[in-house]
Amino acid sequence: MNETVPVALRKPWAGGSEPPFVRIQKITKRFGDFTAVEDVSLDIYKGELFCLLGGSGCGKSTLLRMLAGFETPSSGRIEIDGQDMAGKAPYERPTNMMFQSYALFPHMSVEKNVAYGLQRDGIGRAEAHDRATDMLKMVQLSQFAGRKPHQLSGGQRQRVALARSLVKRPKLLLLDEPLGALDKKLREETQFELVKIQETLGVTFIVVTHDQEEAMTLSTRIGVMNEGVIVQVGEPSEIYEHPGSRFVADFIGSVNLFEGRVTEDKPDYVEIGAPDLGGSIHVGHGVSCTVNQQVWYAIRPEKVRLSRERPEGRRNAYEGVIDEVAYLGNLSIFRIRLANGVLVRATRANLSRYDDEALTWDEKVWIAWDDTAGVVLTR
Amino acid sequence: MTGAIERFPPFRWTAAVLRRLGLGGRVLVVAVPFLWLLVFFLIPFLVVAKISLSEPAIAMPPYLPLVEWDGARALLTLNFENFAYLLSDPLYLNAYIFSIKVAFISAIIALLVGYPMAYYIARSPEPRRSLLLTLVILPFWTSFLLRVYAWQGFLRSNGVINNFLLGTGIIDQPLVMLQTDFAVYLGIVYTYLPFMILPLYANLVKLDESLLEASADLGGRPLVTFFHITLPLSMPGIIAGFMLVFVPAIGEFVIPELLGGPDTLMIGRVLWNEFFSNRDWPVASAVAIAMLIVLVVPIMILRSVQADKGEAA
Repeated sequence: MNETVPVALRKPWAGGSEPPFVRIQKITKRFGDFTAVEDVSLDIYKGELFCLLGGSGCGKSTLLRMLAGFETPSSGRIEIDGQDMAGKAPYERPTNMMFQSYALFPHMSVEKNVAYGLQRDGIGRAEAHDRATDMLKMVQLSQFAGRKPHQLSGGQRQRVALARSLVKRPKLLLLDEPLGALDKKLREETQFELVKIQETLGVTFIVVTHDQEEAMTLSTRIGVMNEGVIVQVGEPSEIYEHPGSRFVADFIGSVNLFEGRVTEDKPDYVEIGAPDLGGSIHVGHGVSCTVNQQVWYAIRPEKVRLSRERPEGRRNAYEGVIDEVAYLGNLSIFRIRLANGVLVRATRANLSRYDDEALTWDEKVWIAWDDTAGVVLTR
Repeated sequence: MTGAIERFPPFRWTAAVLRRLGLGGRVLVVAVPFLWLLVFFLIPFLVVAKISLSEPAIAMPPYLPLVEWDGARALLTLNFENFAYLLSDPLYLNAYIFSIKVAFISAIIALLVGYPMAYYIARSPEPRRSLLLTLVILPFWTSFLLRVYAWQGFLRSNGVINNFLLGTGIIDQPLVMLQTDFAVYLGIVYTYLPFMILPLYANLVKLDESLLEASADLGGRPLVTFFHITLPLSMPGIIAGFMLVFVPAIGEFVIPELLGGPDTLMIGRVLWNEFFSNRDWPVASAVAIAMLIVLVVPIMILRSVQADKGEAA
């Protein structure tokens, strides 16, 4: 175990002897009849920035609150740094949390908010003041130390909340939708700032978010949650390029899904009959499936190529008409209607400022993709 | 802004005239309660103030007019003797001090009793919350006088409490509870407790639970969290509740009269005696005006302190 190598390069989750820092074992949480979190097991390693990603009500916040100690699991076990957390109150845990609402104390100045946690640990006023001041310098809020939270902008409040949760140097920092209330530009800045802070301080972060873009930029690994269950855990590129189910493929980024049946299952290729496309899909690698099995073929819009002529030597090519074009500046999104009425999304980078040859409404086009561009999903 | 009303010419013309006079809708809305206070508070108050400055007389009404007309001149006589009299007889000063003491201690007790109750109600789940609030307000559905009378039945020497204690052999002499200061405190706290609980509840129910969680998360044990977060944030509720108990309790007449002893001299009783036994209206009015000043000054100070805080907060 070499601590100087960043965790993103060490990849302890891929195998090795490094013990996990946070161990979540078969955690279930019920509220009456409702099961918010069901049988979740998860290992998170030191120095990770782990994102719990899912729609609202998927149980991600409940899981985070159980780590912080605000909710007691109905069953299962949570271990942080080798210690069992059962029966430990929030104030006894080596964790700090950054709340979605920031939960800044409205009657205290920014500096007092940040120093609050230190003073609870019996640290003297002078030292608490110094450490709070240092922390505020790090989040670039030194000149606002004397202000009350309501005199700050949303972005500044968010930074106070971050400073307050980091000042005690927790072993584990829990962040609940940390960037939810910020506008796009500020979000992007703060995302990189968070990653920087996380790398400098070496704290382990667990971030809850519903924003897949945020999860992709921030994390070493993502755990996708749906209806209380972790559906897939993996590095961002893994989740994006190798989704394990239709839910993940659809939730992360945008995707075209075609239902079909396996017509040929050979060790080095698979043929899928897809009525949606009015033809068959050739997959250029082996897939563990059986002939006549129902499968779904997922292809990302940026991997769909468009051309006016039928592309040479490509098996996966289908004819359609451009139904809709949306110009987004850096790229354009096309919606192509196939002969049987099925709509396919494709994106194209706008490489040139003056494109006289640009594809436009109602044009006949061919859509095509490489035989390894899509993913065959069985559930 | 053109409402449906403005479409009818007569209304539109009236509205235009009122606006010309500087009486928009907003002014009119404020004007109604303002007029009410003017007629039913300010004018009676001025009448009382007038009486307090006039000379007593055995007449009907029992005081001399303030302004006399001798045919050519209006003679204004302001008689400050009534106020001087209040200072000369220690009875009045003692009654004021005692009233403030009783009201203050009662308000503190009501706060200590009411805060946990308000906190509990505010933290209860929604359906139980409204039930508990209804229970707090329930005593108001019977007459206040009746309820204070009922306490006599509990407290007198052959009352419910003494009979129980004697019957079970815990005591062998009846406790003297009625006609004591204790009974007065009990009566005031009992009567005014809802006025403490309601503003406290209104404040505590708004308390953001995530602040308490944040405090716990940062290492604050429950008691620490209470003193650092909950208590300071509920200060407006505490002040409101305290004032709602303290201010009316100072002038309380019925409770000391029914439950207190002969030496429980609260200002409300003094006032009653001056008006109805001595029939000395000018002195009675002076007592009332002096009490108002005693009350208004601390409230003004409090308000200005709060206003400063409001600006800072």
